[in-house]
Formats: sequence, structure tokens, C-alpha cells
Amino acid sequence: MVNVKEYLERPTFVLIILVLVAIALAKLLRLETTDYLITIMFFIGIAMSLNLIMGFAGYVSFGHTVFLGISGYIFALIVYYNVWLAEMLDTLFGIPIFLVAIVAGGVSALVAFLVGVPVLKLRGAFFAIATIGLDFAALYIVKAFIPIINPEFFGAQIILPAYALAYKNNVFVAMYITFALVLITNYVVRRSRFGMGLLAISEDEDAAEALGVPTRKYKLLAFALSAFFTGMLGAIFGLNAGGVDENLFNLAHTIDMIVMIVIGGIGTVMGPLVGSIIYFILYDTLLVTYPEFNLVILGSIVAVLVLFAPRGIIGIIRGKTIRGKRLRDIIE
Amino acid sequence: MTLMTELLINVTNGLLWGTVLGAVSVGLTLIWGVMKVVNLAHGESILLGSYIVSVLLLFMGVDPMVGMFVALGSGLLLGLTIYWLNLHKIIGHVDVINLRIEMSTLLEMFAVSIILYNLYSFFTRSEPFGIGIWHLGPTSYINIGYMSVQVNHITAAALSLGATFIIYQFIAKTPTGKAIRAVMQDSQAAALVGIDPVKIKMLTTVISIGFTAFSGFLVILYESAVVPSIAYKYAPLAFTIVVLGGLGSIMGSYIAGIIIGGIYGVSKVIFSLLVGKNASDPLALTTAFVILVLTLLFKPEGLFGRKR
Amino acid sequence: MDVIIKIDRVTKRFGGLVALNKVSFNIYKGEILGVIGPNGAGKTTLFNCITGVYSPDDGRIYFNGVDITGMPPHKITQLGIVKTHQIVKPFNEFTVLENAMIGALFGKRAGKISKEEAREIALKNLKLVGLAEKKDELAIGLTLHEKKFLELARVLSAEPDVILLDEALAGLNPKEVEESLDIIKMINKDLGKTIVMVEHVMHAVMNIAERIVVLHFGQLLAEGTPKEVAEMPEVITAYLGDKDLALKFVRR
Repeated sequence: MVNVKEYLERPTFVLIILVLVAIALAKLLRLETTDYLITIMFFIGIAMSLNLIMGFAGYVSFGHTVFLGISGYIFALIVYYNVWLAEMLDTLFGIPIFLVAIVAGGVSALVAFLVGVPVLKLRGAFFAIATIGLDFAALYIVKAFIPIINPEFFGAQIILPAYALAYKNNVFVAMYITFALVLITNYVVRRSRFGMGLLAISEDEDAAEALGVPTRKYKLLAFALSAFFTGMLGAIFGLNAGGVDENLFNLAHTIDMIVMIVIGGIGTVMGPLVGSIIYFILYDTLLVTYPEFNLVILGSIVAVLVLFAPRGIIGIIRGKTIRGKRLRDIIE
Repeated sequence: MTLMTELLINVTNGLLWGTVLGAVSVGLTLIWGVMKVVNLAHGESILLGSYIVSVLLLFMGVDPMVGMFVALGSGLLLGLTIYWLNLHKIIGHVDVINLRIEMSTLLEMFAVSIILYNLYSFFTRSEPFGIGIWHLGPTSYINIGYMSVQVNHITAAALSLGATFIIYQFIAKTPTGKAIRAVMQDSQAAALVGIDPVKIKMLTTVISIGFTAFSGFLVILYESAVVPSIAYKYAPLAFTIVVLGGLGSIMGSYIAGIIIGGIYGVSKVIFSLLVGKNASDPLALTTAFVILVLTLLFKPEGLFGRKR
Repeated sequence: MDVIIKIDRVTKRFGGLVALNKVSFNIYKGEILGVIGPNGAGKTTLFNCITGVYSPDDGRIYFNGVDITGMPPHKITQLGIVKTHQIVKPFNEFTVLENAMIGALFGKRAGKISKEEAREIALKNLKLVGLAEKKDELAIGLTLHEKKFLELARVLSAEPDVILLDEALAGLNPKEVEESLDIIKMINKDLGKTIVMVEHVMHAVMNIAERIVVLHFGQLLAEGTPKEVAEMPEVITAYLGDKDLALKFVRR
């Protein structure tokens, strides 16, 4: 018997449920356009995916967009040729997009695993730089080879045939499920032994290894899991946009992810979640007309936080005590 | 055109570009080597110089050969601002820079890069800037043997060589330069012999960003249109070059820049044979990043760096 | 006495430097073994070879008859050998209790232990070292002396058979040294753990250890009870550079 009351006393759990309910309600009551909701879920989702490796294990994967790109392109290629085949044979190859997205995410996870074996040996800035290198290497490879696969992919852009857009109705549902999975995975990992091990790695990797934490295995697992979800989100986002182009590899997406995590605070689930909510509120209220100026303000917030509150907004709150109850114990 | 000629032309162009890449990386290797500050705003520091020179030429008719000194000056100022605003609180009074502090400055410089990048986008409305048809001397091309080379490219190579020589001499010979090297090797010991580490860290930031802004002028001798996204082209290459050359080594970076330029030229020819002309440029750049990852994994101290 | 760790001709080189040269000796179950030697004698390298931080270039290390040479550190920890660090490495942003819990969760019973059990083990060991009252404080706020005790509680929570103490007493004042020695004795006597300590606080190690191993320039110089070792001429010669130390040896 699940103790409901116990769960209700966990603010992070409650917040996750609230976010999920809010998005479902907004969709059902048509408070926001479907596109807007999908965009929100995409950005919060990728931030929470990165959180698994950056927030918990302390490995700042700057080139994380590489997984958006890889999965986006794999997904687009599968859908493109699936539809093409279906049209050729005049039948419907009704492979559910969710399944294709899982495959696309799986490819990213596999790449993360293979690349992670050597690259996760690097620490700190060197890891960050190496992932930037990977992102650019993958970007230029895609730029070179995608147009060779098919002349229609001019400028490495794959526009999904109109036929594929029949699937588009399912995009919201697919995105919603993936988004929920990312949030729940974050929550479960944070509470698990695995999560404690990752946090120990981010504190002091050598000490963690000496205390029995299988650091290599854990880092690889977190990296692959993070890549898997990032990839799935990228694939579904690509479908929503009706196609993919090289912009998926754009480091600007990394900026969004990292800003959300740093504003909220690393090392928790609540942090990046709150961070991304703040991020969107700022984005929508501050300046819709000048997105650049918006980012200037966000950048300044990050700069101030890194200097004065390195553990973000949640980091400040976690240090407080309310009515004798230490917030640190309940904010996960 | 025979293959040999094509190879020769591409390698020459690659090496010439490499001198610019080398100069672009010198500032980064200094700040990274001395203070372990991974300047993620490096691309934006380059852009500052590029914008200053173009804006001065376009709106006030200031000759870029004069404008480049203004670029240098504004870079020095930017460095001063960044040190006191963003870095001092984190590293000013720290002797041993551990992983945590390293990641803090990395995130802080990342924030600076977001701010600068979007300020540029905001003020230029992402319109391309540039120096148009400006070049030194009467012609824009000169013929060397059977190839013609842009005068601007030769200017860039000459200036990069001169400027790097000057900064190298500065670090090697002047008391300030020697103090910087002392702090790079051991900041605790340096403090013991009476070198003020705060002053040295500030000077390093100022010199690094100043030189980088100056190198932004060299970049526009290559890039006809300056847009903010140029930062994304040059900064990752600079990181590659610094790692390859060895952290903190000015000569290492300069030589590694030329090597990367040369490799770019050669691989461009090879890839255009293998997969066609259109795909050759991106794949040639890929080579650079493959080199980056391989260096990090197998020779993390770089070609000319000390073992860490 | 049963051999718990057998070190068999272990050699470790760093570039041209031979840090350990064919070192062989046994560690017996339930004893307190002191490892001494001047700086650079290879003591810390030896510890790092036993715990898997370094992989020896030559020779083997056996634990309860099992060859553990070249195993990754976390495997060796889970088998039952743990080490405290010369420079303490607490997880600063963790509470004291969470620090100790990591030890329990990933120690000898890794994967077979619930979070509640881990919490109890951690609490028990924090009580043992006298840190129970500070269990909810962040580790970053502890004094050096408390951090050393936390490190001890952390490795104890891993429920090891052998504990390697790398200069656990360095940097402590005489009163804190006495406290630490009492705890170490208790861990050895009451909990039955084998203890190997590298130590510079010479009177302490001579006082507490049942046997002493002397390393010198990467080689095993002597082995025996504290009294035997102190009277060995080669030990005195090796330490002659350090006159006080030699005298202290002889006086015993």
C-alpha cells in the first residue's frame, strides 16, 4: 500500500506532478497552443536530461546538443524512408513514432556509451571541451554526408514528406510521455543508491571510487541515460518542426540547458525544474520582441549566481530551516 | 589543375590561415595556462576586435591599421572589466585552483559569453559587418609562382607573426612576464617570493583578452562578413589549438595553429577527392576536432606543454 | 596467525624512479601493523597498490588468498580493504551522516543493503568516533580533526576487514592524537579489524603497533616487533640522518 501522505510531503514529487498536470490541463482546456506546450516540454526536458550527468555527476557536457542532432537525424531518416517505402508500395507502414523515437534515442545512448569510455576519463574543463569537439565533429560530418545520401537533403536539411505529418497528431502525446519519463527518472535516480553515488562522484571522484562507488560504470550509465532522453526529445521535436537541419547541433541549445540548471541549482531535481520554470517566465514576460536582450539578462543572472550562490536558487533555499524542519531534508 | 598544384595551393592557404588561428589562440593559452580559466567567452573576445575595426572603418573611415590599436585597447578594457566583475571573487585569493573552482570560472565565463554574444546580436541586429574591399597597397591580389594570394591574407600572416613575437618577448623578458610565468608554474611559491598574485592574475586576464581582441582584426582579414556566429567557428578551433600546443605555451599555440591550418589544407584536398568538393570543407574541419579529442585522450599535456 | 594480505615481490616504477622494489611481507589477521620509513620510502605508493589506485608493474597482492592485483579500487573496497586518505577528502556538500552512508551503501554489502540499514550503520559508526551529534551538519564545516574522524567513520561503515590508515594522525594536537589512538585500539580490539598504519608520529606508532615494517627507498629494510626493529643496526643507519628519531629508537 503506497502511503499517499508520505509522497505529498515531498515537495519535489509534488512539483513534478503539478507540472505534469498543468501541461495536461493547458492542453485539454486549450489554454496554450500545442506547439508552445511541446516547446516548453522540449526545453525543460533537455535540461532535465542534462541534469543526470551535469547536475548529479558534475560532468558539464557542453556539447550535449550532439545527441539532439544524432537522434534527430536518425529519426528523420527512418521516418523519411519509411514513408517513402510506404508510398512506393502504396501501403501504410504504421510504425508508431514513439517506437522510432526510442530507437533514435537508443542510437544516441550507444554513441554516448562508446564515446564515454574514453572521454569520461577526462575531468572538468577537459571533458567539457572534448564534448564541444564531438559536437562540432558530428555537425561537420552530418553537413558533409547527409547531402550525399540523397540530393533532396540539400544543405543537410531533411524535410519530412507531407505524408509523415499524418503522425503529427501523436507528437504531443509522445512528447508528453517522454517528458514525464525524464522527470520521473530524475526523481528516482536522485533518491537511489545510484544517485548518491553520482553525487559523491561530483564531490570527489577519487574518494568516491575509494569508498566503493563504481565510478566508471556510474558515469557511463548516467551519460548514456542522459543522451538517450536528450535524443528522444530531439527526435520528437524534429517531427514537430516537420524536419531537421544542422541547427539541432547548435550550441545555443546547450546554453538553454545549462542556464536552466545553474539558475535552479545543481545537485537536485527541484533545482533545474524550478530553474526552467523561471527561465520560461522570464522568456515570456521580459521581452518577447528582443530575444537577444532576454538572453543578456539571463546571462547576467547566471553570472551573478555563479559568483554569489553557486548552488543556485534552490541552493539558497535548501540552507534554510522552517519551523525546525531543515529544508535540505525535504528538497530533493 | 594538377593534384600537386591543388595540394600546394591548399596547403599554402591553410598555413597562412594557420598563422591567424595561432594568434587567435595565444590569448586563450595564457589565461588557461596561468589561471586555469577556461575562457568560454574567447570567441566573443575575438568578435570585439572584429566589430571595433569594422565599425570604425564603416562609420568613421578610420583605417584598420589604426583601428587595430583601438581593438587592442578595447580588449584590454574588456579584460579589466571581466577580471574585476567576474573572476576576482572566485580566483583572486586562491592559491591552488581545484576542479570546483575551475568549473566555477568556466561557468562564469560561459555567462559572460552569453551576455556578450547577445549584446552583439542586439546592437548589430545580426546584420553582417566587415571591412568590405579594404586592403593594404594598390592591389588586392598578388601572384606568387602560379598561385595568387590575397594581400589581406599575407597582411594577416605578417601581423600575426609580429604580434605573437612581441607578446612572446614580453612574457619571456620583462619582469611582469617573468612573474606571470612564475605564477603559472607555482602560484604558492610565487606568492612566497613577493609576487602579488592578484596583480598578476589581473594582468594576465587583461593581456589575454586584449591580445585576443587584437586577433579579431586578423580574423576579419579572412571573414568578409562579421556575424556573431563567427565566434562558434574560431573559439572551438582555438580550444583545439591550445590543447594541442600545450596549456600556457605561447609558441606551442602558435605552432599548433599553423599545424592545424596545414592539416586543414591537406585534408581539404583529400576529402574533395574522396567525397567531392562540397563536403570537403566541413570534413576538413572535422579533422581538427578529431585531433582535439585524440590529443586530450592520449597526450593531454600537448605537443609543447609540461606534463601535468 | 592467519595471513590476511600477502604482498609478494611488488614493484612499482614511475618513469625512471623505482618507488617500490620487490617488496614482500605478510599482514596478519587482527594485528596492528605500522609501516614506517623516511619521506619517499614508498609507503603511500604501497597503500595505493594494495587499494588498487595504482597497478603494480610486477608482483602480486593476495587478500584472503584471492589475487587482487590490478583490480579497480571500488572492487577492492567491496572485498573488504579500505583506506583513509592522507589529505582528508570528505564530500563537502554532504551531511556528516550522508558521508558515512556512502561508505555503507557501497561497502562490503554493496547492493544488499537498504537505505535505512545504511543509515543505522552510519549512525553507529558516527557514535563510535563521537560525531553523532553533528550528523546533520555539512562536512565542509567540520574541523580538520573532525574530518579525520569522519573519514574513519566513513570507511568503518564500509564494514571492511582491513583498514589502511595513511597518516591519520598528521596535523593533530597531542590530545587529539591520544583520542585517535584510543579509537584505533578500540576498532582493532572490539571490532576485530586488521589495521595497517603509515605514520610519522613515531611515538604513537611504536606505542600502538604490534609489528613494524620499515621501508627505505622502495625496499623492505626490516620487519619485526617495535622493539626488535628499533634495535636493528640497519634501521638506525638508515635513520641516522634524522638523529632525534634514531635516538628515540635506541632508547626503547
